Amino acid sequence: MDEFVTTARSGVRPASLLKWAFLVGIALYFIVPMAAMARFGFQSVPTALLTPDKLFTGWSVSGLWDAMTDPRMLAGMKTSLLLVLFAILLNLVLLVPLAIVTEVRNPHLRPYLTALTLLPWVIPPIALVVGVAATFRATVPWFLASVFSLVPFYALWAMPFTYRALDAGLQAINARTLYEASRSMGASLWTIIFRVLLPNMRASMVAASCLTAAMVLGEFAFASLLLKNTLPTEMVIYQAKNPRGGLAFAIFIMVLTAVGLGLVVRSLRRRGLNIQTTGI
Amino acid sequence: MATVDMSGIRKTFGASVALEDFSLAIKSGELVCLLGPSGCGKTTALRILAGFERPDAGSVVVEGRDLSNDPPEKRQFGMVFQDYSLFPNMTARQNIDFGLKVQKRPSAERKEIIDRMIAVTALEPHADKFPHQMSGGQKQRVALARAIATSPKVLLLDEPLSALDAKVRETLRDEIRRLQLEIGVTTVFVTHDQHEALAIADRVGVMSAGRLEQLAPPRELYEHPTNAFVASFIGTVNRVQAVGADDGRWRVLGRSVVGSSPSTAGATNIAAVRPEQIAVDSVEGGAGVVESVSFLGPMTRVIIDDESYGRVFADIISADAAGLRPTERVRLRLRDDVQDVVLIGDAA
Repeated sequence: MDEFVTTARSGVRPASLLKWAFLVGIALYFIVPMAAMARFGFQSVPTALLTPDKLFTGWSVSGLWDAMTDPRMLAGMKTSLLLVLFAILLNLVLLVPLAIVTEVRNPHLRPYLTALTLLPWVIPPIALVVGVAATFRATVPWFLASVFSLVPFYALWAMPFTYRALDAGLQAINARTLYEASRSMGASLWTIIFRVLLPNMRASMVAASCLTAAMVLGEFAFASLLLKNTLPTEMVIYQAKNPRGGLAFAIFIMVLTAVGLGLVVRSLRRRGLNIQTTGI
Repeated sequence: MATVDMSGIRKTFGASVALEDFSLAIKSGELVCLLGPSGCGKTTALRILAGFERPDAGSVVVEGRDLSNDPPEKRQFGMVFQDYSLFPNMTARQNIDFGLKVQKRPSAERKEIIDRMIAVTALEPHADKFPHQMSGGQKQRVALARAIATSPKVLLLDEPLSALDAKVRETLRDEIRRLQLEIGVTTVFVTHDQHEALAIADRVGVMSAGRLEQLAPPRELYEHPTNAFVASFIGTVNRVQAVGADDGRWRVLGRSVVGSSPSTAGATNIAAVRPEQIAVDSVEGGAGVVESVSFLGPMTRVIIDDESYGRVFADIISADAAGLRPTERVRLRLRDDVQDVVLIGDAA
C-alpha cells in the first residue's frame, strides 16, 4: 500500500505524465481564447497594444455596462428568459409523463423512444424551420408571427438532453419497483405520480431544465432563420457596433450560466442526489 | 389471514415458458417458500400472485374469491422487494405511513400503527431517517414494516435478503419468521437460497423449469425428495447404485434397506444418499481412497474416490474422523441407523 502511494504521489510514471499533458493541453485550449476574449472585452486598451506588459492596465466594466443597458439587448434578454421559461414548461409537460409511462408501463418501448428523441439533432435547424414554416404558413399563419413560435422549436431542440436527464433520473430511483411497491399498497396511478415519482424526479427535472435553459440562451440558428429578436441574435447585432461590450457581455453570460449550473449541481448533491440521479 | 389457491397457471414470455401448469395451495397463516435456481419461474409465480403479471391460463383464488383479473392495487397484499424500493423522498415513518394514507385511515390510528410497526421492527433510532441514511438491513426492515402496516391478506417477499450480507441476512430471516408467526399473515417467500427456505418455511416448494417439483415441509423435502432434481437441489446428495432383492428391499452400500418403491430381484436403481448417512471405515485394501478431509467444526467432510461408486461425499462427526488422512484406503457403508433410502431413477 505504501509503495502504491509513493508511486502515485511521485507522478513520474509515463501514463501519469501523459494524463497531465492531456489535461493541461485541453485546459489551454479552453483558457487561452477565453483569456484573450476577457482582455479584449474588459481592458480599455487598443487591440494592437494588448501586449503582455500591459496585462494589468486599463481594466474596466464599462463595455459590459454599455451592453447591459442597451435597450435592444435588454429586450432580447427578456424575450430569451421568457422563451427559456416556456420551453422548459413545454418540455416538462410533454416529456415527464412520457418518460414515466414508458418506464413503468411500457419498458420495452424505451430503446425506440431513446432513438426517437435523438431525431431533432439529426435534422438540421434549417430543414426543420423550412419544413415547419411551410406547414404553418399554410395552416395557421399567425403562429409564426409571434416570437413565442420559437418555443416548440426550442422544446424539440432540447428534447434529446431533457429526455436523457429525465430517463437517467427514473433509472436512478428505480422507478419501476417504486411503482410496483406503491401499487401493492393500493395507490392509484395519480397518487404514485404525484406522491412518489415526481418528488423523486425533482433533481432530474432541475437538471433537464438547466440544460434546456443553457441551450435556449445560446441558440442562434432558429431565431435568426425565423427573424426573431432573442438575446443571441441581438448580441450578434450589438457586437457589430460595439465589439468590446458585446464580447464582455458574452463572457459575462457564459460565466453566469456556468456558475448557475454549478450552484444547482452543488445544491442537488447536498440533498444526496448525485450525477446519476440528475443526468448532469 | 387468507388461503391462497393458484391453480393451472401457465405463463409465457414470447417463446419461453415461464410457468407450466403451476398449482399452489397455501393454508391460512402458513409461510411457503418458493425455492429454485434462477429462471425457474419462482419470481413469475409471485408476480402473478401479486397481480403484476397476468397468467395466460389458470386462476388465483384468495379467501375463496377469484382475483385473477384484479390489479395489484385491489388485492390488499403486502410486498417486499429485493432492492427495498423505499420511497427516497420519505423518512422511515413516512414510508410506513404511505399505505395507511392510501387506505385513508384516521390519523390517530395511523400514528398508533406506525409506532407499533417501528417498535416490532426495532427501528426506533431510525424512524426519522431517510432511506439513504440507513443500512441495507435497516432499509429492508422498513420495507417489511411498510408491507405489514396495512394488515395485508397475504405477504409476498421477493428475495428480500439477497442484497444483504450474511450476518444481517440470518438475523433478518429469523426476524421475518418471528413477525410472520406473531401476526399470522399468510406469506409467500421467494428465494434461491435453500438454507433460508429450510430455516423459516412451513413448507417449501421446489421449482424447476416453470414447474413445482415438490411442495413439502423442510424436513420431508430433505429426507424424502420425490425426484432427482429435488434430491440434488436440496443439500448434497450422493447417487449410488441400489440393487433389488427378492424380499422387496434394496441393497445400498452393503446394507439392506427399504426403498421409496419396492424392488424386484435383480432390478437396479439409483439411491440418493446424504453425506451424513455414510460411514467410512479405514480398511486395508478398501475400494475407496480418501481424496480430501475438510474440518467443518462439528462435522468433517471426507471426499472419497470409490472404485464402484465414483466420487462420494461423507460427513462424519469430527471426533470419529480424526484418524482419516488423504490417500488412505477406506470402505464405505450406509450408517446403521439408516432404515430407508430415496430412489431417484433407473440405473439403466
